[in-house]
Amino acid sequence: SDKMLSLLDKWVQENNELANNFKVGNNSEQSCSEFHKLLRKIQGIPPDAGHAELELSVVYNASVCFIAQSQIVEAELLLQQATERVLQMTGDDPDTSDPLVLWRTVLKSVRKTAFHHHVLYLLSLQWAIWLTNSYLKTIRDFQEISALLETLSGKVGDDCRNETKAKFPDVPKLITDPRRLVELLQICTIITQGAERLSEGWSSEVLSDLQAASTLPAARALVAYTHLLSGACLAHMNRPQMALQCYKTALETDSHCVCALYQSILIYRQLKNSQAEIQTLRILHSILLLPSSSEPAMAGTHLLSPSLFLRSQSLSSLLSVPSALSVLHSLALKCVLHSRASEGVEHYLDLLAALHSEDQHRIGVHAEVSTLPKLPRLYLEAGAALLMAQRPADCMALCSEVISTTQDLLPQKVVLDESETNAAATEDVKEEGEGGLAMFLWTAAAYLLQGHCFTHMKDWKQAVTHYTRCINLLVKVHYKNKDTDVQQGGDFCILQRLKGLSFAGRGISFTQMDRMKEALRDLQHSLQVLPEGVGAGLWCGEVLWRLSRRCDAAACWEKTWSLPTQPLTETLPVYVQEPQTGPLLDSTELRHRLHELHPV
Amino acid sequence: MEGRCSVETWAEFGLLGKSGRPKVKRGFGANIFICTGCEEVYVFSANERKLTVVLQLPGPVNDLVESHDKQLLVACRCGVYCVDLQLLLHRAHGSSGDASSIPAELKISSEFVVVDADGVSSLLLVGSVLLTLSQTDTSWLLTLYKSPQQTQPTAYEVLGSFHLPQISPVVHDDTKLKAGRTGRSILLCAHFGNRPPPSSSCDAVDTSYPHFCLKPVLFKLLFGVEAALAKSPVVLCGLPDGRLCFLPLGLPGSRLRVLHSLEQPVVFAGASVVVETDPGHAQCLAVVGEQGRVVLIKADKAGPERRGSLARFTEGCVSGPVECGFVDKNCLYYSTGSDLLTLTLSEESAGREDGERGEEALRSPTSLNVCGVAALTEPTCSAAGDVQLLGLTVGGQLRSIRLPMRRRGEGSPRPPSSQVGRSVRDLLSAIGDVCERASALKTVIKSKNQILKQLNQVVNISFLLTKTEEPFPFEEKPIGCHATASWSRSLQKDTLNLKCVLTNSSPYVLERGWTLSVTVFPLSCSSSTGEGTSSTNFMFPFYNLRPGETLEVSLPAAAAGDTSYPLTVNCSLILSLSGFLGEEEVARLPGWQKSCFSLPLNTLTVDWLHASQVISPTGSQSNKETDTLQAFLSSRQIGCSKGDGASKPERYSASVRVSSELLRETLTLKSFHLDTKGPELASPNICFSLLDWLFFEAHGGVKVGREGNEIDSSGLAIRARAPNGATVKLSAKQINVAEENPGKEEGLVCVEVRIESSSVSAVCGLHHAVLRRIQSLLKKAPEKAASTEKVQRLGLRGALQQAEIQQSRLSEALSVGMSSSQTNRFLLGVYQELRANPLLVI
Repeated sequence: SDKMLSLLDKWVQENNELANNFKVGNNSEQSCSEFHKLLRKIQGIPPDAGHAELELSVVYNASVCFIAQSQIVEAELLLQQATERVLQMTGDDPDTSDPLVLWRTVLKSVRKTAFHHHVLYLLSLQWAIWLTNSYLKTIRDFQEISALLETLSGKVGDDCRNETKAKFPDVPKLITDPRRLVELLQICTIITQGAERLSEGWSSEVLSDLQAASTLPAARALVAYTHLLSGACLAHMNRPQMALQCYKTALETDSHCVCALYQSILIYRQLKNSQAEIQTLRILHSILLLPSSSEPAMAGTHLLSPSLFLRSQSLSSLLSVPSALSVLHSLALKCVLHSRASEGVEHYLDLLAALHSEDQHRIGVHAEVSTLPKLPRLYLEAGAALLMAQRPADCMALCSEVISTTQDLLPQKVVLDESETNAAATEDVKEEGEGGLAMFLWTAAAYLLQGHCFTHMKDWKQAVTHYTRCINLLVKVHYKNKDTDVQQGGDFCILQRLKGLSFAGRGISFTQMDRMKEALRDLQHSLQVLPEGVGAGLWCGEVLWRLSRRCDAAACWEKTWSLPTQPLTETLPVYVQEPQTGPLLDSTELRHRLHELHPV
Repeated sequence: MEGRCSVETWAEFGLLGKSGRPKVKRGFGANIFICTGCEEVYVFSANERKLTVVLQLPGPVNDLVESHDKQLLVACRCGVYCVDLQLLLHRAHGSSGDASSIPAELKISSEFVVVDADGVSSLLLVGSVLLTLSQTDTSWLLTLYKSPQQTQPTAYEVLGSFHLPQISPVVHDDTKLKAGRTGRSILLCAHFGNRPPPSSSCDAVDTSYPHFCLKPVLFKLLFGVEAALAKSPVVLCGLPDGRLCFLPLGLPGSRLRVLHSLEQPVVFAGASVVVETDPGHAQCLAVVGEQGRVVLIKADKAGPERRGSLARFTEGCVSGPVECGFVDKNCLYYSTGSDLLTLTLSEESAGREDGERGEEALRSPTSLNVCGVAALTEPTCSAAGDVQLLGLTVGGQLRSIRLPMRRRGEGSPRPPSSQVGRSVRDLLSAIGDVCERASALKTVIKSKNQILKQLNQVVNISFLLTKTEEPFPFEEKPIGCHATASWSRSLQKDTLNLKCVLTNSSPYVLERGWTLSVTVFPLSCSSSTGEGTSSTNFMFPFYNLRPGETLEVSLPAAAAGDTSYPLTVNCSLILSLSGFLGEEEVARLPGWQKSCFSLPLNTLTVDWLHASQVISPTGSQSNKETDTLQAFLSSRQIGCSKGDGASKPERYSASVRVSSELLRETLTLKSFHLDTKGPELASPNICFSLLDWLFFEAHGGVKVGREGNEIDSSGLAIRARAPNGATVKLSAKQINVAEENPGKEEGLVCVEVRIESSSVSAVCGLHHAVLRRIQSLLKKAPEKAASTEKVQRLGLRGALQQAEIQQSRLSEALSVGMSSSQTNRFLLGVYQELRANPLLVI
């Protein structure tokens, strides 16, 4: 027994040395195996209540190391062995394999023993493992955890620390303070649970929990998450302004919490507050460009990183932020759509420059799944923006880039069978999303934009040439299935708009060249394909007027005015929407003419 | 055969290593980098025709690449190392200005590591981005690193990585093995348009292989519009599983995708101009697989109903294996190891719609008659139109291969006579090369065949000897030993010699590497005391024992006075690998030098009876004095103890009783071939033949070498001298044991063998020997359904065991040297035990 005592002392000493080194070195992989080795030595002797405290401390240290290494299975195995040995010490029978029942038995049997607290520490690790594995229901069902909370946060913390420091230097040391661990687990559980229940639609129930959690002692990042989740709850409950407040608090708590910024952008979008949205997008983009933003400083001084315990799928979708390039694209598009074309152009040019820059590899690598549109579409959007910003030459350069790239790959014709899966079901689909049709539409749109550019420069002849090229391409697309229901699909819609706009453009150009017959034919074609075309309708009336068919003209105008006004939308590519430039007709003047015609 | 190529050997580096990959690369200036598959990288100056620098790396070298700022990046098993070559060359020149023949050597240690990654198999530099291809357990990993701006070798920053799951290769086994070992992969980079991307330091590095500019249409067809629009360089990688993958660098969200699968390890991929319409644009991407599959990828005009252009993959096959390859403007060069061949990628195959023309071109390679090329460099074209290739041969020679000028559409001009002479010389030397290689290969094949044949014999023999399902209970193994024991006298000492005869009655030949091993050890010592000293081992190497032949060896089993009988003689055959393959062959198999395996044959036993010499009733004995002295001594010893009421207390005796019936059934018939005429008539015969059988027949595989019939035919007794010198009398007589078994209705006739001697150990040992022999007799006896017989047999076995124990105790007691009183008590106990067992063997 005397020898035994010294052996125990030696083990305690070894454990404490390892724990001390751990704090200094932080080489946790090696520490893992060292603690595990020590534990195997200790567990070589039969379970005995006399040295339970030492054994359980080493189990705790080894398990913490394993969890920090994400070796969850190993840690769980250690805990299971430890509980079995505890039951052997107390002489109780572990007649179940259900971990919940096992833990209850263990807690009951050690209630009066000296190592009660050490078993509780192990329970906190079990909690950590459940949380890592997202066994939220188990955590909820296991009431003893709340008891654990009370016991540990009340007494142990002070006790333990005083003991270790002052009176007994040979008390086995723990590598991380169990009280801190329990605090961390508590807030992480609330956050994860909140995210899960929020996704299940229990927003109002979760809210109070989250708000309570925001006062818990924890790292700033975690507190920020509680605010963020409260905001998400409020957004679910249709209280966007309060949600915005929460997001703001989250950002104030932790400036790295960019997801709060992104969530507020979503709220602004929902509120259609485009100015605020643009502003927030701009801030988000500049934050994302900062070097440190990609890795939020979450770890802090904790050995066990909170990210270990925040593995819920719904939480990570809430925390995700699109890449800097995607944000930049949204920003540029928003600017263009909300009459800030010149600003939008700058952003588009930044975006294109980033794609071509030396640093391209970094950008390309970091976005796992790109939310950016295809590159040709990006070029065309930028072109449209340039045209809106009165820079037709630049627009034309971008368009010719697209045309030169796609031109020699264009098929002779494309047969579309809409009854098949998708619009891209062409004969030779080279790869997803880059079939012949997409290529056709890009090229046609590039010609259309070039036509607009020439219209803008009042070079009518060239404009006619480019509109004609566009039309010639578009007529090569054939539809097998003319069912109107399915023809509302995206590509078909774009095709129709391209047709309508190119005919309208050519008609207007013909009008300017005083070739009224051709103009009328084209404009009527345009209206046939795209009845809601405002430009085509007005100009068609004008042509009719000039051809002295005044009644027809009046009818045409009246019909056009009765159409609902269509602002630029995000649902369609900006380049297939009504051009903002080109020769305009003054509606008041037209009305005046009508008034003269029918002086009622 | 217009024009031959001239081959010139520039340097020799020794045989190529197996662990890394042979590589030859042209560097800046006239430097040529060579790795021979070992840990070294050699820098060879083509201008000075000499080796300038040797780099010694910590592991086998897989790949190397030169950066734009003239640093050399070397991929090793354990990481990527960066060496500032310019500095090194400068130093080499400075230090060895006069003694210019000595190359500078540099050991590359871990301080040069820039990428700490295991198993990097290929490297590629695109601008300032370093790409590494490595293989993990489940996937291929393409990792991007950013080169630091400063020239100091610091660790490269990881930009990102791309995974491609591995597939199990569908190629056949030996290539799979090869691919697994070398992990051969290639990395190259396709650029869009005329120039490589405008990088800050664009120079020759990004314009020569492995960088090339593809014709825009082909680029777009293969890699997509987006890559073309972004002017993004596209990394191509060829994998040992046959896949050719591509990755557009710098496109957001791009993935590593498979372009084509060759279904055999990709050996080479490169681009060729084919027709010089747009200068600098390659129109054809050529991929070559290890088994000779060649794929040419070109842009082609499609039919009227289809899109404007499409990528046409023309597949063909050349006779493999392909060791390495290269393309220049319009030719594909490849080496099969035994020859270097060239294929013309003509414009017919490029322009025409029918793919057969292309395949036809693939079917007619032109031989250049250069053998043993394991690695090639990019061909260079001189001003005169000559094409120069640099090749590294399997023998480790760096060779410059100069191809004759090619002119399209016309035959080559008649060469001048001196050139003809030279080309004949070249041709002859090429033939010489091939011949030398062929004869070397032939001898290797021959010796391999021989070894295989012999191995087959060995396997057959081991199967025969280790077969356990059908043991040989009575008949012997087809290969086995038997022995003859005889006393001989040399150097004033009597020794019991054992003549062992190994008989090969199997149909196989025992060829090289066999050794007969004979181990002799006393039975009593084998288990209990376990002394190593008591066993003696004899080895007899032999060679070529054909079926039916025998090998006779002779060994001393025991000296006179040695009483540790019975002796066990273990015979086994040992095959040593070094004896079988020869020393130098085995030296190539580390860890196998000492290995051998042993096949047990049979076990022989030499017992007291074998070792006893019969005292001829007529012949005079040479050492009678010793005998009498011994008798006197033993009588003195025993005389101290009290007699047990027997008439002669100093004489000890033991007896064995065997039923006559048993003897007649087993022994008599064999010995005399007589009809059984009834027990009475045959009785003296039985006794006689029993003694004869006991003394003169082979027992336990050992026969006694005695000549003449020395049995006292009248007295039915034999006097013999036991090996301890004591005189023993063995007598046999027929008795009836009816009175001892009152339960039986009829008396049982049996033969009693009586052993008498003044020496207890002799009695004991002989008794044991007789019992053993009779036990073997019992085994031979036809099985009878008599329970008593079984009981008796059991009793016999028990007695036998007891006797063995007694004997060992006895010899132990005698050797340890107890006090005489203890010994006496002990001996008496044994004696009584012996007497208390009246045995009857039925």
